[in-house]
Amino acid sequence: MSIYKLHYFNFRGRGELSRLVFAAAGQTFEDIRYERNEWPSNKSKMPLGQMPVLEFNGTQLPQSIPVARFLAKQFQLAGKDNLEQAKVDAVVDTIADLIVKYSPARWEPDETKKKALLKKIFAEDLDKHLQDLDVLRKLYGDGGPFFVGNHLTLADLYFYNTGQNLLQMDENSLNNYPWLKQNREEVEKQPKIAEYIKNRPEMPY
Amino acid sequence: MATYKLYYFNARGRAEVLRLLFAAAGQRFEDSRFEQNTWPSFKSQMPLSQVPVLEVNGTTLVQSQTIARFLARQFLLGGRDGFELAKVEAVVDTINDFVSILSPIRREQDEKKKKEQLQKFLNDDLPKHLQNLEILARLYGNGGQYFIGNNLTLADLTFYDAGETLLQLDPNCLNNHPWLKQNRLLVASQPRIAEYLRNRPKTAF
Repeated sequence: MSIYKLHYFNFRGRGELSRLVFAAAGQTFEDIRYERNEWPSNKSKMPLGQMPVLEFNGTQLPQSIPVARFLAKQFQLAGKDNLEQAKVDAVVDTIADLIVKYSPARWEPDETKKKALLKKIFAEDLDKHLQDLDVLRKLYGDGGPFFVGNHLTLADLYFYNTGQNLLQMDENSLNNYPWLKQNREEVEKQPKIAEYIKNRPEMPY
Repeated sequence: MATYKLYYFNARGRAEVLRLLFAAAGQRFEDSRFEQNTWPSFKSQMPLSQVPVLEVNGTTLVQSQTIARFLARQFLLGGRDGFELAKVEAVVDTINDFVSILSPIRREQDEKKKKEQLQKFLNDDLPKHLQNLEILARLYGNGGQYFIGNNLTLADLTFYDAGETLLQLDPNCLNNHPWLKQNRLLVASQPRIAEYLRNRPKTAF
């Protein structure tokens, strides 16, 4: 009976970051996955009618990033002290800005519109945020392969998952960002994460 | 002995919650404000060409929400333990959910469009978000007047600030939400905050 229960859909979406945190920490948890058709009857059980929701010692916590940040802190993946945590947070917030930019394209149902939106966003909008990430890793990263300090944090895990989405939409999107590419490879070869990725259900999003 | 320097425009905007944190904590800081015409010459000195930026003991922090959480932790305005901090963050993210819908509407240049979008926001979007805040307050507030536990936290300061913007747009929007109204009154009546509100520069936004 785990003290941690994560409620989310059976895809990566907004829940995968927390799953990656559990995996990196080697922490067992109840990974409760809902199929889409199971959701309507369970929606009212969640405080804000949304997921992911973390149940920790029986109390529910909504909002995907606060959940991931809490878990990262529990498992020493959030930064060593208050200032380092702020550096990790700054990278996380910048990745969130990136996601806001590409989301309209990613979820556009009309294929022709989607193609046009993707083209525009990848040509014009995303570079600012990718460059910002490069600026922050130079500012906070101590010259190593991780975003902050010389160790894996929530920032690297978040970019790992987000990078997967970027490359899905445009396989060349990181070509001008060798450090970001290298950072993802560094995350992927951490033994506990490699194991988790090998075994998790393969999901398009 | 930490020294703090905050850079932002001479406006409330994304920095006011940070100023409220300094005020609530009784912490001195340098409140560096740009006018629109001086901003271009400072822009390139900011890591991501954006503000607010906080300089603390030689480190530069970016991203308004990151800075807010950092200061909340520094000043013990982030809840009493890791899980309470997560609750604070969940409330803050729920507030930012509607602030982020409102921001582009406020920037809309076409007056007619703006009016329509604003009406839609006030009638269709906002009530659900305010109800969500009330749900979280009931879940985490121990029956009191603060969002989390029985103490002032970043959650209350964030809602105070967002509420000011909402009430500017529609003075009646909190009429059906007595707990939220009362929560703002409680924040404004804290002696250090009352003093800060009395003395701060009056700006349009």
